[in-house]
Amino acid sequence: MNETLHSRAQQLIAKQRIEGISNEEQAWLSAHFAECEACSALQSQTAQALASLRSMNIELPKNLAARTQLRVRIRAEELPVHNPGRLLLWAIAGVSWLLGLASAPLVWRGFEWLGGELGLPRIVWQIGVALWWLLPGVVATGAVLLQKWARAERTE
Amino acid sequence: MIWAVPFSSGARYASLMTDDTKSIARGLKHRDPELLDLLIEQYQFRLFRYLLHLTSSRERAEDFFQETWVRVLERGAQYDGKWKFEAWLFTIARNLVLDWHRRKKPESFESLAGPEENSSFDVQDEKGATPLESYLNEEQREGVHASLGKIPAIYREVLVLRFQEEMQLEEIAGVLSTPVSTVKSRLYRGLESLRVAMTGGAV
Repeated sequence: MNETLHSRAQQLIAKQRIEGISNEEQAWLSAHFAECEACSALQSQTAQALASLRSMNIELPKNLAARTQLRVRIRAEELPVHNPGRLLLWAIAGVSWLLGLASAPLVWRGFEWLGGELGLPRIVWQIGVALWWLLPGVVATGAVLLQKWARAERTE
Repeated sequence: MIWAVPFSSGARYASLMTDDTKSIARGLKHRDPELLDLLIEQYQFRLFRYLLHLTSSRERAEDFFQETWVRVLERGAQYDGKWKFEAWLFTIARNLVLDWHRRKKPESFESLAGPEENSSFDVQDEKGATPLESYLNEEQREGVHASLGKIPAIYREVLVLRFQEEMQLEEIAGVLSTPVSTVKSRLYRGLESLRVAMTGGAV
């Protein structure tokens, strides 16, 4: 039989496993196997080699998953808290701060007017202005500290 | 020890399939410990087997196994779910092995798993087989192991990814960071080497 035919058959045997072959190529290969014992044997050897490779099994080290899970959890504790929403929170805080700064003269005048209307001493409405600015910050700081405390409790 | 796929890590991921890449990507972004536990259990066999093929050493494979999952935790946000999770996982594992190998010896990947390092893969007995069948299976598997040891690492790796992990050519190319044409050419050579090695010829 022609060497080229054997060479083509060998190429198709490998291609069948790696990329897949067309129906025409499959038909040609089957016809060739019917006539060529050597190529048929090559096909069997390839099939057997791959079957052995696929069925090959290994023993896992004892408690591999459990030990890895533990290590991953320990590492997770060491990593800084990953919070994708934090960036958004900072952006909102920044915008809010800018708006607050822009509206400061209006707030000052508002308190001044209210103090005048109520006949309050200057120092009283000025303390009111200071509290107007400080109070949200104090509340926010309190909320953050509370959250941290709760997280620390959970970790323990 | 017989490997199994336990699904004990909570109901949220109870129906997680290996191709549920978007759920995995979401969970990894939030470093979800439940998801990580499940993934470690689910991929332990395949990842360890792959690392064993890369390193030919159980101790090293185990180290890399743990290190791979730590990397998955640290870089989970980089997984976007467009690729199969195992392809991303294997890429991380492979890069770790390559980095280690480069640090150890500035040589090509070819020298990974040289013949002097061919430790036993601890072949496992088949359940329900008769003593004769077990013996024959054992012998056959040892034969496979020995044959694989004769094949250069770059070919062995693609054979494992294609025929044990059943990855697509494009996925293998992704893991190896090489063109698909290179993967194909390695597969052709690797398959021929495997066949020759298993029939007792010189590779």
